[in-house]
Amino acid sequence: MKLSDVMSAAGLSGYAIVALLLFVIAFLAIVVRTFAPGSAARHARDARLPLDDDEPGPAVRAGE
Amino acid sequence: MSAHVESFSYDDAIVRKFLWATFIWGLVGMLVGLVIALQLASPWFNFDTAWLSFGRLRPLHTNAVIFAFAGNAIFTGAYYSTQRLLKTRMFSDGLSSFHFWGWQAIIVAAAITLPLGFTQAKEYAELEWPIDIAIAVVWVAFAVNFFGTLARRRERHIYVAIWFYIASIVTVAILHIFNNLSLPAGLLKSYPIYAGVQDAFMQWWYGHNAVAFFLTTPFLGLMYYFMPKAAERPVYSYKLSILHFWTIVFLYIWAGPHHLHYTALPDWASTLGMLFSVMLWMPSWGGMINGLLTLRGAWHKVAEEPVLKFFVVAITAYGMSTFEGPMLSVKSVNSLAHYTDWIIAHVHTGALGWNGFMTFGMIYWLAPRLFQAPLFSKKLAELHFWIATFGILLYVAAIYSAGITQGLMWRAFDETGRLAYPDFVETVVRLIPMYWVRVAGGTLYIIGMCVFGYNILRTWMARPKTYDVPVVSAPKLPATYVDPTPVPAGAGLWARFAAARWHHRWERLPLTFTVMVVLAVVVASLAEILPTFLIRSNVPTIASVKPYTPLELAGRDLYIREGCFNCHSQMVRPLRHETERWGEYSKPGEFVYDHPFLWGSRRIGPDLARVGGKYPDLWHVRHFEEPQALVQNSIMPSYAHLGRAPLDFEGIQARVDAMVMLGVPYGDAVRDAPGQAREQARTMAEAIAASGGPAGIGDREVIALIAYMQRLGKDIKQAPPVTAEAGARP
Repeated sequence: MKLSDVMSAAGLSGYAIVALLLFVIAFLAIVVRTFAPGSAARHARDARLPLDDDEPGPAVRAGE
Repeated sequence: MSAHVESFSYDDAIVRKFLWATFIWGLVGMLVGLVIALQLASPWFNFDTAWLSFGRLRPLHTNAVIFAFAGNAIFTGAYYSTQRLLKTRMFSDGLSSFHFWGWQAIIVAAAITLPLGFTQAKEYAELEWPIDIAIAVVWVAFAVNFFGTLARRRERHIYVAIWFYIASIVTVAILHIFNNLSLPAGLLKSYPIYAGVQDAFMQWWYGHNAVAFFLTTPFLGLMYYFMPKAAERPVYSYKLSILHFWTIVFLYIWAGPHHLHYTALPDWASTLGMLFSVMLWMPSWGGMINGLLTLRGAWHKVAEEPVLKFFVVAITAYGMSTFEGPMLSVKSVNSLAHYTDWIIAHVHTGALGWNGFMTFGMIYWLAPRLFQAPLFSKKLAELHFWIATFGILLYVAAIYSAGITQGLMWRAFDETGRLAYPDFVETVVRLIPMYWVRVAGGTLYIIGMCVFGYNILRTWMARPKTYDVPVVSAPKLPATYVDPTPVPAGAGLWARFAAARWHHRWERLPLTFTVMVVLAVVVASLAEILPTFLIRSNVPTIASVKPYTPLELAGRDLYIREGCFNCHSQMVRPLRHETERWGEYSKPGEFVYDHPFLWGSRRIGPDLARVGGKYPDLWHVRHFEEPQALVQNSIMPSYAHLGRAPLDFEGIQARVDAMVMLGVPYGDAVRDAPGQAREQARTMAEAIAASGGPAGIGDREVIALIAYMQRLGKDIKQAPPVTAEAGARP
């Protein structure tokens, strides 16, 4: 039996709904994980990374 | 124990190089865009020159603005921000240099080969196989350099911008390799290993995700770095950025089939693409809101700071295009918009607004830092902003109007139940004024680009004799990681999940993180691709559909060379106005020998799926010479050169042989393709001469192209009932 026989007989007409459900579940897991309490301080620190690179500021014209 | 502090410097020379390449190629790409906009307003601008015709220049425009302008902009921002976010110099200056020069060489190769007609006929993947290999090599060099930098970083946590770069690098590599699998039939000629429906599916899996992972995710990475820098405050919500990232990665990869609604693609794939496209609203708008709200408490700066002005319009344009994209993916909306200028307007809202303005804002922010001189003129930057904004508005207002006008005219019926505009050219002529407004809008945008270039050039001219190279210090990462806030013992699985330790762990483990991204992309891709390839009923074969004759195959290659698919579709959708206008709707089984598929994505000219036999051969001869002589007001350029250029009969054998290797049953043609082609050409040429046409065209290219066009749609007319049981062609 070939893979194409199996796939052809699998009856995938409801496939779009199954895929939709799977990814809604994945999305909800990410939402729960992201907005769960207890990680605010860590995220606040992570969010500041671009501002903590100790770069000199831009050159400015005299008098500006 | 105190960590060992190390001193190092960033490689900004490579950033400066990419910055200049961004400007130069951006200007070139946009100028080519202006030329093709003029060509649509008046065919005179094709200058009766083959290599300057719309069909050949259009892919040059799209490739130049996507891969040359946006590509170099991505590298500019990524090389600058990656080093700083990871607190280390790039892994290898040699690889950085190889990446820069390799990428520019690829762009030059594209700029030479595309106008000469060397193309794979796949949108945004037109470049032929040797250039594709070069792209893969240069991209791998970039990836090695990038991941090497990650490995040598001095910052434990990987900031969200880097996540977007990681997703872009790995996904673009996957897309590029699998969409470009092809069999060479010459130094600059190849055929994709996929045919028809499957080729279309692969192409739009690639095409949509090229937009996603080349024009969206890397620019989101730039947004998450440069917006906080310019606003001088952290991103509004880091949590939202995590959500934004994973939902984009999860969802985008599924959405490609929405480019093929109502085509011969299986309906389930089309529906799946639509569902996931609609879901993309959430992360896209979450990201837009996150970007804009980063300006909380700093909105007053927008009035004074051109960088922020550019960013605000860029992110707003991102929001607009990512609202419109899901809307266009809804089948009923898509039935109106597909093949019209509406899609062009949608694309340009994103390209000119999102990609263009993010790039301009970023470079205005970078230039004083990279050139170590004040920006030459803030007023000129303001001028650039207003000119370009007005240019975008003119452009999209005109082309949205054109698209909707066109779509409505195509589907209009009169009170007697007949097509209200049966003559296709009527629907073209109505758009010409809007095409001129587009020319005006595009011109303004390019004038803005020139102002931008002048401002950056003058800033560069004020640079110091030698650049100062600041020495930066950062502690080396300890070999082992100690969590400063460990999970309390016995907290349990739920507590660990809710506290997000697992994800935060990934965020400091780039390899694990990358594997997770690849898994998300590959699983989603395979879930769509495997059924498309393996379910036999997806592509029912049609007994009467036969391979093209050697002469028709040569003609098809000329159709590809001239870029005819840029203006003509070959796909009749199962919609009443389409079948009334063009004939029987297209079936999947009609395309089983089409390497590549040529369904097209735009109808600047009429659909050609059923053109075979519609006109006599002599009509085509005259039409190629001077389209306006037969179709008044046509905007098609002249293809008189096809009547002069000799047809390379001997070269047909290699092409037939390649097709045979791809499984096309060519029979006797395997032994004498040139002979068969000559015989068919001679018969056709004699008939044309006998009907009053020019003599002696039996060995000219035009005869092959006519042979191909006269074949289109004919097989189905002799078809017995479709037999799903017969199975797909292996």
